[in-house]
Amino acid sequence: MIEGIPFRDDLLERYLCSHDISTPPLLKRFFKIADVVFQPEKEEDVLRILKLAEEKRIPVVPRGAATSGYGGVIPVKGGFVLDFTRMDRFEVDEDQKILVSEPGAVWWDIEKELNRKGLSLRVYPTSALSSTVGGWIAQNGYGVGSLAFGSIAENVLRLRVADFRGVREAQNIHLYAGLEGTTGIITKAWIKLREFEEMKAYAFHVSPEKAVSLAYSSGHHSALFLDRNYIKMKNEVFDDRIPERDTLVIVTGDKMDGDETLGQEIWESRFYPMKIKRLGPGIVPAEVIIPCENLPEYLHRISKYSAGSEVWFIRKNICSVLSFLPWDERKISYAFKLKFSFKALKIAKKLGGKSYSSGLYLSRESENILENYQELLRFKKEIDPDNLLNPMKVFPSGMISKIIRIAEVFS
Amino acid sequence: MKIGNQAINNEAFVCVQCHYCRICPAYSVLKWESVSPRGRMYLLRGIIKGEIEPDSRVVEDFYRCTTCGACEAVCQTSIPLIEVWERARSEFVNAGIAPLPVHRKLKEVAEKNGNPYGEKREERAKWAQKYQFKNDAGILFFAGCTASYRMMELAKSTVEILMKAGVDFTYAGEDEHCCGSPFLRTGQRDIAYWFFRKNLEEWKKRGVKTIVTTCSGCYRTIGKDYPEIAEELGYEWNLKVIHTVHLIWELIESGKLGFERSYEAVTFHDPCHLGRHMKVYQLPRRILEKMGYQIVEMEHTMENSLCCGAGGGVKSQFKDLALQIGKKRINEAIKTGSGMVVSACPFCKLHLIHAAEKKIEVRDIVELVNERAKPLNTD
Repeated sequence: MIEGIPFRDDLLERYLCSHDISTPPLLKRFFKIADVVFQPEKEEDVLRILKLAEEKRIPVVPRGAATSGYGGVIPVKGGFVLDFTRMDRFEVDEDQKILVSEPGAVWWDIEKELNRKGLSLRVYPTSALSSTVGGWIAQNGYGVGSLAFGSIAENVLRLRVADFRGVREAQNIHLYAGLEGTTGIITKAWIKLREFEEMKAYAFHVSPEKAVSLAYSSGHHSALFLDRNYIKMKNEVFDDRIPERDTLVIVTGDKMDGDETLGQEIWESRFYPMKIKRLGPGIVPAEVIIPCENLPEYLHRISKYSAGSEVWFIRKNICSVLSFLPWDERKISYAFKLKFSFKALKIAKKLGGKSYSSGLYLSRESENILENYQELLRFKKEIDPDNLLNPMKVFPSGMISKIIRIAEVFS
Repeated sequence: MKIGNQAINNEAFVCVQCHYCRICPAYSVLKWESVSPRGRMYLLRGIIKGEIEPDSRVVEDFYRCTTCGACEAVCQTSIPLIEVWERARSEFVNAGIAPLPVHRKLKEVAEKNGNPYGEKREERAKWAQKYQFKNDAGILFFAGCTASYRMMELAKSTVEILMKAGVDFTYAGEDEHCCGSPFLRTGQRDIAYWFFRKNLEEWKKRGVKTIVTTCSGCYRTIGKDYPEIAEELGYEWNLKVIHTVHLIWELIESGKLGFERSYEAVTFHDPCHLGRHMKVYQLPRRILEKMGYQIVEMEHTMENSLCCGAGGGVKSQFKDLALQIGKKRINEAIKTGSGMVVSACPFCKLHLIHAAEKKIEVRDIVELVNERAKPLNTD
């Protein structure tokens, strides 16, 4: 296809690289699949693929580990999928405490290497065991460490980004973070690090109100709150014996009087939030960002749907709430159960919140999620006038966003 | 294609596609989604939903898995992936789109000779000519095909250990058949069932109560698959199955075996069939320590151990891939700084020697035990 760049154009690989972790009933029939899957090995490869895409007017969809569920990596209109598995090199500037990484590097591989050098990531996703640097920046997520350090975008110093004009080095991170590759494809990132610090996890059985005040009581690194429904589900799946009560886990370098054994047990399960899918098999998810003062009310309102929730506290008094409703995704009723996702978002918005991300399914939410949406829209049109960079994502267009809008209204 | 197996039909929808299984040795070499465990699960799901029809290319990538079980050890939703891979391959065979050419050939050869190496049946016990065996006893030594035809020193070492320790045992010689492992792993269950019947018949004839084997693949097959096959076919199953390391440890504990101590540093490679498949991790290490060896662990060890690359039919069908995986494991062993990698499986030894290219010594634990064993009390 392009000399020297690994690619596959057989049906199987194209099929397998045309989805993420979401399981949208019915919608999938409107999606095309990738025409070709490329695995670039260096930045120059990305530029060569972009050149061909521009010449042939073919969409280009970057793909990390595809561990998100907003449809951001789905090649809805077909095209070239750029799987960054082979661009996974990284280096560490130990003096400046800066990570310089290619997009395909996996967060946990990096963290293990950093720990050997006495350093650590400031923030990492709960999917760190497989998710990639490029993927998480492109989604602009929150995760472990966000209580102390905010979103990943707040910790990125600089990006190298490829588009149809070439490569640019950008310090305007907001032009790319959370934009899912619609304004350019990340080829390298400079990320702030911290000194490695021994920390402990402490568990507290407290109400959501009390959890909010405890989480922000001092400069803690991370705070995770699990509601009792979620713990009940975890117990059922893990065969655990965690007390089925609302529980806050604080991870900190300070000494606290919480339950250390339970704290550690829950903390070690932080990478496995979706284990409860076994209960369906299938889960209906809802993920929102809300002001912390409204967390108790939000949890109260969605409790009637029998969902379980985990909450990550973020600095500046906001939190991300991920709720799951186990349901057999093979049943027709699964499509109706999806209204829970829309209901949860509506409730969150009424309480001053917003969707966690936009991607494909919630591209109409981008205006609420991205503070400078109009500026970004202008930038997108300037950089990508033919809308070839991950079309239909973040900036709504086409049928999918309309269908979702209708579904939202009916929910 | 319709997938009849209910477990596959359920588990395909339990997979969350988190990709924690990216540690798969085949995927880490080839890097294509179709080779990854997650990709295979999504394919099965796609077949069930009628979204994709498997063809020869699909089947080929599905067979690039060594069935080592590394994916199962890290699976977020605790899917019994080894079982899924083997049953899915069986479904492909039933649908007429598998096995792959070399695997098909192995079956033809095994039907004729009772082993997949194409060696003569009458030469199966050639390694054992200098030993005298009882015709019947409570314990039977099952040598397996690799130790009978390729790694004979392991069969000999095992027999000599048992003799030094005064163990009363029998050996079926030319009447021993392949356990069927290569065929269960590649989805060709019918011939494995035939071997099951032949072996069981022989064991009954000899009054066997316990089977001991030095091959981890045979141990997994006879210890785990045979009881299930017996139930499926309606046979009574009351045999105890142990790996040689179990027996050696028993002999040490009962004071029947002692050692001339060594103070070398070695590293231990967990055979997938002994470790992840059968959960035996500590015993070989304890034996090595008892012999005085200092164990330096590799980066990936025990439940997270890297596969040698040979299993699941990969060595026979995809030689380059098997070798690349094997070299990764050898590099980990070399990094420990020890001069020797020890395993507990003839098939691992066979493959690791090939991958090591003499950069590190590769031995099996039974060889070391036999070389250093001192009979203490055989009364």
